[in-house]
Amino acid sequence: MQKKASENITNRIILSAALGIIGFILFLILYYLENIQIDIALADSITTTLIFILIAFSLWYPINYMKIENYSILNILLNVFIITITTSLLWLFASYFIITSLFTDYELFYSSTLLWRFTVGTLLIVIIIILDYAFVFYNNLTKKVISESKFDLLIAEAELKSLKYQINPHFIFNSLNSISSLTISNPEKAQEMAINLSEFLRKILAGNDVKKISLEEELKNIELYLKIEKVRFEERLEFSLNISEECNSLQLPNMILQPLIENCIKHGVYESSETININLSCKRNNNYLEINISNNYDFNFANKNGEGIGLQNINSRLKLIYNKSNLISIKKRDNVFTVILLIPIEEILNEK
Amino acid sequence: MKNKKKTAIIIDDEKLARDLIKNFLQVFENIEVVDECKNGFEGIKSINKNNPDLVFLDIQMPKLSGFEMLELLETKPNVIFTTAYDQYALKAFEVNATDYLLKPFSKERFTDAINKILDKDNGSNSDTNANKLNSDFLQSEEKLNRVVVKKNSKIIVIPVRNIKYLEAQDDYVNIITSEGSFLKQNRMKYYEEHLPNSFIRIHRSYIANLNEIKEIALLEKENHIVVLKSGEKLSVSKTGYKKLKEMIR
Repeated sequence: MQKKASENITNRIILSAALGIIGFILFLILYYLENIQIDIALADSITTTLIFILIAFSLWYPINYMKIENYSILNILLNVFIITITTSLLWLFASYFIITSLFTDYELFYSSTLLWRFTVGTLLIVIIIILDYAFVFYNNLTKKVISESKFDLLIAEAELKSLKYQINPHFIFNSLNSISSLTISNPEKAQEMAINLSEFLRKILAGNDVKKISLEEELKNIELYLKIEKVRFEERLEFSLNISEECNSLQLPNMILQPLIENCIKHGVYESSETININLSCKRNNNYLEINISNNYDFNFANKNGEGIGLQNINSRLKLIYNKSNLISIKKRDNVFTVILLIPIEEILNEK
Repeated sequence: MKNKKKTAIIIDDEKLARDLIKNFLQVFENIEVVDECKNGFEGIKSINKNNPDLVFLDIQMPKLSGFEMLELLETKPNVIFTTAYDQYALKAFEVNATDYLLKPFSKERFTDAINKILDKDNGSNSDTNANKLNSDFLQSEEKLNRVVVKKNSKIIVIPVRNIKYLEAQDDYVNIITSEGSFLKQNRMKYYEEHLPNSFIRIHRSYIANLNEIKEIALLEKENHIVVLKSGEKLSVSKTGYKKLKEMIR
């Protein structure tokens, strides 16, 4: 609201300046072309211009008050016509009255220029009204565009929130049970695990699902998580990382890999008594950061339900964030399950 | 009888969880841990071999869950479930678990659970347990994704997608898969309710896997049969035909 008011005032000042120049031209015409006495010419042009500026200022209110989108074109044209004629006449008679009462012998000349004055004044008022309408229209349009894009953003954010990574309570309680057990057999390790778990939980609680973080940071979170799971599963869980150096600083959405690693554990380690190897590799593939996460799994045991939901979730998240689909794909070969993620690299169009 | 030591088996896939139970049990001189198992398979073997008085059982385990393992046992021991899964509590009491410990549990809570077992020393309860423990205990909303059966003392896990159809046979259900057929003591109604949506009760005696159906053929007026990809023909009842038509559309 404030911004709009100040914008409006700037508009009026520019308009006044323009009218001032026109007033000066009027003075030049009167003084040089019509050879009017300098004091009369000055008084005439100043009064005429000032009154005109006053009217131009007040014109804004009826126009702004009337919501143009609520009226038909005929209605608006009629309005413009009435406003123009009345204001023009008002201006003309006001200045005529003032000038002729000041300089009575000027009346004859003034009367002879009435038609001429009326024509120019009407034209100017029409121009001002059109400009005002254009301004109102433009303002409404940008307001609409802004509120619409704000709305879209809100929807996208809400969707992202609903897709947010959610920690598995089973993981928390089993980890706490491990800590409980370690307090008896190995208090030092219990302490270490309590600290690791806290640090991980803190990351998740603070986690912002809209934010992007570097791959290096995301991998730190994952290593923390795997450290905790390793205490629970011991030799049943092995993890290897294969990252090409150039990828470390690349950005990706916060906690996007976490659910994938959890899937590996859920479908791999939970369902098998053999060792499960989780392998995470990252490389640059043209304009994408390509991330491969694979794990072996026990072929003979049917996976639990809902395998696809986690992946679908990530797919939707990526779609919302990057406005691209098919950024996630899976591969099943022998007894190795691989998820491939393609994260667009944004350094080129680094907006904002 | 009174001073005889009680035997216990701990079944949990996490070593630290087993260690904790063992540790808590140290104060009970009349309870002896005779075995530890890392999954349901080992559990079944050990229970059949040791016939323990008490079993500590985790639910989420590789290969065979705690519930699936119980389903396959002929004589049911006293069971104390130890799990982090809250949502299984109800199911656990449906199978008449002696107690249900939520991880992590305190020493006091654990001691309470043990005392419950020691109190009902007469063992008269375990028989009623056994009866209740028939396979219809799985009352939860969850859909099955595998069925566990026993054949010639071998335990076989059948992913539901491998099931072609099920056939009612008196008190049993015959589960027909590409690898053979398996009898299981249960009711058709149970499978009708708990198998995924791709399974349809097409007849009083049949539940068919939609993915295995090759065609629905008209035998005579208003009398249909289903032909499976593998060639078997199953009769379809009127209501079954209606359901099939709805699903295929």
